[in-house]
Amino acid sequence: MTAPAEARRISVGIGQLAISKDPTDVLVAYGLGSCIGISCYDPQTKVGGLAHVLLPNSEGKRPGEGEPARFADTGIDTLLKQLAALGASPRRMVVKVAGGAAVLGPANAEKFKIGERNAEAIKERLKHHGIAPAAVDLGGTKGRTLEVHINTGKTFVRTAASPASEL
Amino acid sequence: MTDEKLIETLTAVAKDGATRAGRGLSGLMGQEIAIHVPNVRVGTKADACDAVGGEESLVLGAYLSISGDITGHVMLLFPELRALECVDLMCGQKPGSTTEADELAQSAIGELGNIVGSAFVNALADDLNLILHPSPPTILHDMAIALVQSVYAEVLSQGGDVVMMDAVFEDQKGRTAGLLLVAPDPASIEPLLRVAA
Repeated sequence: MTAPAEARRISVGIGQLAISKDPTDVLVAYGLGSCIGISCYDPQTKVGGLAHVLLPNSEGKRPGEGEPARFADTGIDTLLKQLAALGASPRRMVVKVAGGAAVLGPANAEKFKIGERNAEAIKERLKHHGIAPAAVDLGGTKGRTLEVHINTGKTFVRTAASPASEL
Repeated sequence: MTDEKLIETLTAVAKDGATRAGRGLSGLMGQEIAIHVPNVRVGTKADACDAVGGEESLVLGAYLSISGDITGHVMLLFPELRALECVDLMCGQKPGSTTEADELAQSAIGELGNIVGSAFVNALADDLNLILHPSPPTILHDMAIALVQSVYAEVLSQGGDVVMMDAVFEDQKGRTAGLLLVAPDPASIEPLLRVAA
């Protein structure tokens, strides 16, 4: 495996974000349903971060203190800002995005569309920052777990039915 | 209203629903089911999945939406192995006969979700004198938190906070035999509390 033997797995919960430059860290967003995980990594400084976004747009609402990544727009802004403070550059940033599924079934997917709206909002916000994602795994009907390994910048996605594969 | 008061009121509201839902489950499984006092949690907490084995635990279950005087979401979740055991009990098969979530198993779980979920919704309707309609069930088969989180997102996309009631059912061996989650939409919290008062 690419994670160091003494890897420390840090769970990034709903609406949370985490940044790290510790090579033993693996940042993980477990079970993304309609939520989307955004992994950012600067290969030069080996600084990385992961945000676990719940909803598309803040529409001027301030995210709660405990949930800096509740919304796509303010979540991405905060993630990039915190990464920059650790020395990461937006120009070098490798961004990978996974999630946005409709896990409550096809009938409800039409009704809710949260996953789809999250994906749109994230692409838009990244574009606003001049960033095009290097890889995406979005949509579908299955929940995903996304992790980023800080020592290598590699990201992996797994579902309940399939083992981890590199994104 | 404070969170404490809200939790107290909704716990009382959920109690009869959980009892009737548990009775439905007990009847289908043909065995005694213990029903825990319902929990009410405010906010997007991951511990909602603890009873079915944690966030990444693979669960089988069913989702129903509620329409009518109030709107909201109902989910019945089982750890996958428990669900398969339930299917054997429901179908009068030897334990261990069902080994995967095939079409028959999924249809049985859908029926289970329908009966148990509707029992909760009907109790709510009777007790509070509301007109409520549970939707037909959608089968769920995924990581627990992915399902719970999607309900959180649906509720929170309408504004307000997420309030989720849960009831844990336990079989005679003390194992989780189902987790029922009920989340009213934000606009329904106020009317729900008003009629409950």
